[in-house]
Amino acid sequence: MFRYLPEQASTFAPDVDWIHHWITDISVFFTVAIFGAAVLFAIIYRRRDGKDHKTPQILGDHKLEAIWTVVPTIICIFVAVEGLLVYRDIRTPPDKAMELSVTADQFSWSFEYPNGKKTLNEVTVPVGEPVRFTMRSKDVIHSFFVPAMRVKSDVLPSIFTRVWFEPVKTGRYQGYCTEYCGAGHSTMLFSVNVVSGAEYDRWLNDDSQEFMMSRMGAEEKGMALYEQQNCITCHSVDGSRKVGPSFAGLWGKKEKLTDGTEVTVDENYIESSIVNPNLQIVMGYGPLMPSYEGQLPIEDIKALISYIKSLEKTTIAPASADPVAAAPVDRSKLTPPELGKLLVQEKACGACHSVDGNKLIGPTFKGLYGRKGKLADGSSYEADDEYLKHSILEPMAQVVEGFAPSMPSFQGQLSEEEIASIIAYIKTVN
Amino acid sequence: MSTATATGEKKNYLNEHTGIWSWIYTLDHKRIGIMYTVTLFMFFFTAGIFALLMRYELMHAGPSGLMTPDQYNQLFTLHGAIMVFLFIVPGIPATLGNFLIPLMIGAKDVAFPRLNLLSYYIYVAGAIMALVALSSPVDTGWTFYTPYSIQTGQGVVLMTGAAFVLGFSSILTGLNFVVTIHKLRAPGMTWMRLPLFIWAAYATAAIQVLATPVVGINLFLLIIERTMGIGIFDPKLGGDPVLFQHLFWFYSHPVVYIMILPAFGIIAEIIPVFSQKPIFGYKAVAFASLAIALIGFFVWAHHMFLSGISDTSAAFFSIITFAVAIPTAVKVFNWVSTMYRGSIRLDTPMLYAISFIFIFMVAGTTGIYLATLGVDIFYHDTYFVVAHFHYTMQGGAVIGMIAGLHFWFPKMSGKMYSETTAKIAFILIFVGFNMTFVPQFVLGMHGMPRRYFDYPPEFESLHFASTIGAFANGLGYALAILNLAYTALFGKTKAGRNPYNSLSLEWQTDSPPIHDNFEVTPIVTDWTYGYGEPIKGQSHH
Repeated sequence: MFRYLPEQASTFAPDVDWIHHWITDISVFFTVAIFGAAVLFAIIYRRRDGKDHKTPQILGDHKLEAIWTVVPTIICIFVAVEGLLVYRDIRTPPDKAMELSVTADQFSWSFEYPNGKKTLNEVTVPVGEPVRFTMRSKDVIHSFFVPAMRVKSDVLPSIFTRVWFEPVKTGRYQGYCTEYCGAGHSTMLFSVNVVSGAEYDRWLNDDSQEFMMSRMGAEEKGMALYEQQNCITCHSVDGSRKVGPSFAGLWGKKEKLTDGTEVTVDENYIESSIVNPNLQIVMGYGPLMPSYEGQLPIEDIKALISYIKSLEKTTIAPASADPVAAAPVDRSKLTPPELGKLLVQEKACGACHSVDGNKLIGPTFKGLYGRKGKLADGSSYEADDEYLKHSILEPMAQVVEGFAPSMPSFQGQLSEEEIASIIAYIKTVN
Repeated sequence: MSTATATGEKKNYLNEHTGIWSWIYTLDHKRIGIMYTVTLFMFFFTAGIFALLMRYELMHAGPSGLMTPDQYNQLFTLHGAIMVFLFIVPGIPATLGNFLIPLMIGAKDVAFPRLNLLSYYIYVAGAIMALVALSSPVDTGWTFYTPYSIQTGQGVVLMTGAAFVLGFSSILTGLNFVVTIHKLRAPGMTWMRLPLFIWAAYATAAIQVLATPVVGINLFLLIIERTMGIGIFDPKLGGDPVLFQHLFWFYSHPVVYIMILPAFGIIAEIIPVFSQKPIFGYKAVAFASLAIALIGFFVWAHHMFLSGISDTSAAFFSIITFAVAIPTAVKVFNWVSTMYRGSIRLDTPMLYAISFIFIFMVAGTTGIYLATLGVDIFYHDTYFVVAHFHYTMQGGAVIGMIAGLHFWFPKMSGKMYSETTAKIAFILIFVGFNMTFVPQFVLGMHGMPRRYFDYPPEFESLHFASTIGAFANGLGYALAILNLAYTALFGKTKAGRNPYNSLSLEWQTDSPPIHDNFEVTPIVTDWTYGYGEPIKGQSHH
């Protein structure tokens, strides 16, 4: 009766279930017997015609009372000991157990493997091998729970705790956070991916993006793409304002567009924004994003959508002041380099071009003017006025070696004078 | 009421003095009991509505659109905090205990009537603080676990402050009852003649006095931690968040027995009267209450098996927890045996008492799973735990209290309520309650964690059934209490002194009792349960 426990995916799951079912049977037996007796007495000895009948003044029975004290005591001792034995197994990892490190924070799980490989909200383990998880929280108390493995332990910010299990069959198993930890508690899920030993070895040592991605869940893959495709440069995931809108809390939001219409952020809007970004620009942002048409297969777009969806409930950091609106400056009074600097800020060139020598997506502005080098097509260039102007208007035509052709054209967005000011500014960055 | 006295009706505690000030300044334990009852049920229904809002949110997978995850988290916190601190903990002792203890032992009042009124007003002060705290709702869960409760919104200070103040009300009530039961028993009312409700109330009062200060200190430390950062619980400052859990459960496990022991007492009063038989094994039932109260102090860490405590202490607390099961099982066996060869009348109080036996069997046996270490690892913080403690807290403490209110209502008001309405309400409560929480046991078996705003779609049908049950359950409570309230205010049917033919002292005086309870101090010559034809060679002493 009541055999509803999840499938048994660890070595000790059958032991847990055995004692569980034993308690169930004995409980159902006693509940039915005792409550049945009460109902039976209520029927047999009920008062008829509204009058009391004679009753015997039975005060008790020591023998009977001894029996119903001793019998439950024996049952309890048996259950307690059986429960302790299973507990000992669950709490004692074998010496040869593989070691994984788990870090919990509001509201995600990260796993680190012995070779330094890291995964988020998903852990891959080999079947038939004991795995030991050493866990620590970065903030509040969380709890690590995988029903199919019958393991659970709180994850504390003050000390390390551990769980272990040995999976007995391959498959994907749901994991939960079971200690209430705040607004995103019910989204703090993870999955345990049990694979064959050979596949695990391949997975662990294969760093190729294709293989890693093929093993990832949609959300995790979306996150990887977010970094790999440089979305990270212009779109934050913590609500802070960058060149483009933040992904935090973006899903399902109603956005006002520059053409005055309103759009709800759903699958179709995100896809269209990736493939044809400048068609629907959100109010307050510029048409700066390059198109990814033909560069991302639909599976990748789906993965990015899943990732953005997963950020729906992320707490949004207070929006920083709009950099354009914040500084009303009389531009006619500015010197060309000053105007150029302002324009560089407005157009968010800094998202891809540093001024401190760091290599971002594009070449740094530091020392750029007058630099000589090779282009991607093998020809050489010198960064003079003509070259820089050309690069702003037709960026794809002369990409420097080692950089991706990802800069949008500013044709029609900047006047001749403004382009000259930007070049004047670049000259000053040395 | 003044017209009633004018027509020559006998004076009683309700009509002797009239007007609002006669209530506000009253030192009469019966009136204070009534004031507690009215106030407590206002909070019961408030917290009940919070529960229904939560059940509405969980009816279907995915957000309902009615609330955000934050608001959901606030709702389960307020539901738990109000139910525990403002309703079930004061619960039976403050309402029926206040009304009945002096009557049952043949006293005029409690030992310290002014202290009694003071504890009511301390309760009101704590309640007002809790209501003010609603302006920035807490989202920590009623357990206020650190370090989350150190980081989240400012409402925590007011809400824990409210619980801190409420603790004083609880301590004073407990102190009052201990002294009353020791010193004010009528001549001849020896310890072994006491009604079992008094034994239960005595054990409860002892826990109130001994355990409440610990949670008071704990919540006070939390407030200091939040406001001054003394570093006792916050790991960033070198504190230990698990220490909070130890101090919290050192009170909050015994508090479970503050809630349930008086309900046991009520059931032990109802079954003998409605069976017209002595309670089976009086001493065992009486001492079982004391044993539960005592053992209850040494089981607190069974709430913390997975909190990072050592395996040795987990084993220790598991075994002690099993020890509580024994006296509890003894009680149930004794209640059922009392019905054997009785003359059983199935009026509303008895229906509640019989249903209590079923509910408490479920509550107790599901507790066995949670005491068993290997199984608790699976069930800890799942819906199984939610269902288990609602079977003890609602199915046990609340239904026990509702049973008691129906049983003693004729004594309190002098009137008889509509049996038909009361029975319809009983059916709604019993069916609704089980329909709410049986699916939650099954959800727990599937591994559904508690305190989740949303859940995987495969759990939807069980959640749907649970929500339907919850609304039926809520309707049942509303009907039951409205029936009693309506009768108290407008009822015409007189109840008489002793409608159920009880031998207990409170039924030997007028309904409602006079201000001093008895015309002359009663002299007690026999124990409370001398029902039926004596059997040769057997007597209570």
